[in-house]
Amino acid sequence: MGILKKELVLSNKDAVNDDGEENPEVDVSESESEDEDVKLTERSKTSVYNRDGLLDKLGDISWPKDVDWRHRLSLDINQEQEVDVNDDLARELAFYTQALEATRQAFVKFQSMQLPFLRPSDYYAEMVKTDSHMVKVKGRLLAEKRKIEEAEERRKARESKKIAKEVQAQKLKERAKQKKEEIESVKKWRKQRQRNGFEKDDQMGLTFEDGKTFEKSTKKRPGVGPADRSGGKANRVGWKGKKGGAGGKKGRDFKDSKFGFGGRKGMKKQNTAETTNDIKSFNKKMRQALLYGHLSQNEKRLAELALIENFGFLASYLIIDVEIAIA
Amino acid sequence: MGKKRKHSEAEVTAPVKNDEGAPQRPERTLLGWKDKVEEKESDSTAFRNKEKVLVTCSRRINYRYRHLMMNVVSLLPHCKKDNKVESKESKGATLNELVELKGCSSCLFFECRKQKDLYLWMAKCPNGPSVKFLVNAVHTMEELKLTGNHLQGSRPLLTFSTNFDKDPHWKLLKEMIMQIFGTPKDQRKSKPYHDHVFVFSIVDDHIWFRNYQISVPHNEADKVDRGGLDKMTLVEVGPRFCLNPIKIFGGSFGGQTLYENPFYVSPNQIRALEKKQKAGKYAKKVKAKKRRKMHEISNPMEPDEFADMWKE
Repeated sequence: MGILKKELVLSNKDAVNDDGEENPEVDVSESESEDEDVKLTERSKTSVYNRDGLLDKLGDISWPKDVDWRHRLSLDINQEQEVDVNDDLARELAFYTQALEATRQAFVKFQSMQLPFLRPSDYYAEMVKTDSHMVKVKGRLLAEKRKIEEAEERRKARESKKIAKEVQAQKLKERAKQKKEEIESVKKWRKQRQRNGFEKDDQMGLTFEDGKTFEKSTKKRPGVGPADRSGGKANRVGWKGKKGGAGGKKGRDFKDSKFGFGGRKGMKKQNTAETTNDIKSFNKKMRQALLYGHLSQNEKRLAELALIENFGFLASYLIIDVEIAIA
Repeated sequence: MGKKRKHSEAEVTAPVKNDEGAPQRPERTLLGWKDKVEEKESDSTAFRNKEKVLVTCSRRINYRYRHLMMNVVSLLPHCKKDNKVESKESKGATLNELVELKGCSSCLFFECRKQKDLYLWMAKCPNGPSVKFLVNAVHTMEELKLTGNHLQGSRPLLTFSTNFDKDPHWKLLKEMIMQIFGTPKDQRKSKPYHDHVFVFSIVDDHIWFRNYQISVPHNEADKVDRGGLDKMTLVEVGPRFCLNPIKIFGGSFGGQTLYENPFYVSPNQIRALEKKQKAGKYAKKVKAKKRRKMHEISNPMEPDEFADMWKE
């Protein structure tokens, strides 16, 4: 590893460690995430430190001592603790406190001078960052806020769901327990009664005989709160809109209409051999005429006319066919 | 083109007549019109800060560092921005001439090497000291996490940590920073009111720079409300950077070396180190293999009892 080889220029006593080490250790410490800053842990022996020269130059460039503080506007703040460079938060906090302290002192000074130093709210002038840039900044801040809020809401919803589930489970348990209890008590009562041979009815001291057990609740619609606006239908199991004509009683009627008595005419055949010879749907007279056909000419003609009147012209052919068939 | 008339070249220098009769115009200051009679403090011998900073950069500068330079320009109303200088000109003499040409009293020169490393030269011209810094940890004002904003050109409050008074080289640096970064009073482009503060502090032998906007609830311009000082908050405006002093020279951009940072390692050396650490990988592997082989040969294993168990 290369050593910094420079000429030894020591003009004054200074704090260089003369420890005769050949290879100063190089400690790779990251002071910022972007640039790796390598520091020699031991001072290189050959660095220049011209104390007098530095102080000379300082005297050269400084302003005269009696210059008003308003020209300098500089303040010195004591940094109490040693701040670790790599701890970002602590470091920034140290800078912040330094600035805060300094501003406070400065403002006290300004106030004593009684000159305006605070910007009035209506003072509009060019700022160091443009308005469009500040709009972007604002947008980003709002987006962050919204994200946080949404995360909060989601968490709350999850928790409340959990709690609701627990409560529900509790309720169900209780109900089941109650039901069991009631049944048990009825059984007990029966047994008791049996044992005592159905006598001494009046001496039974069972608590459920006060007549109130079998009383129906006066609530017309149990399980529905007074503020329910859904008509009591919100809690129905499997309620997902109409199911084949809204179940219940209507369902029976509906089914009957659809399937009863051989079902609907629907898609069935109409003009088959059977239906042609089917005379059940005609009236009595017509049937007799068609069946027996032993009508006189006049009667036949009358029948024909009646037929035509009732069923149209083509129906007259029926008689002729039947006649032929019979004859 | 008419002939040039030959007339006597006697210079007619009309002496400037000082009209004492006409009343002089009242002087225009930032706070309003002031009659000359009322001047008490500003005698001709009073101190006037006439600081002017020339801000330039070298060619082939990175975008991030260029933005940093632009931010610095916007922070200092008493600066003059100049064109990029050729890399040859970044040695001493030409820069000094440039500064004199522009009539500036100090210079901030951003030198970028290999498009990776930024060096900042801070020099007082014509014969003042100069410092070369290595700049790290650059965050510009355009970052959306730095949300503050302040008046452009308002005079900043400068704060230094007390570390600056411990050593002479820090003292010198403090004086230079104060003169360069502090806006002169009554500067032409400066704005009234103080609404931001610069923080320079020394941590781990580096100078850290922060710029905060001061926000304090107030109703009047010259008084803070009673509880106001406690409710003051600072919002960071940016930019941010960290300076690592390399050398301090007696002259401007050159001259006798007054101070050298003993802990400074140049970024080139850092990179070389890293490469060296990776370089020996293959050789090391080969060596390790050889070593293992020698070890195996020198310590033979006992013959295994069960070696022949599954042999057919």
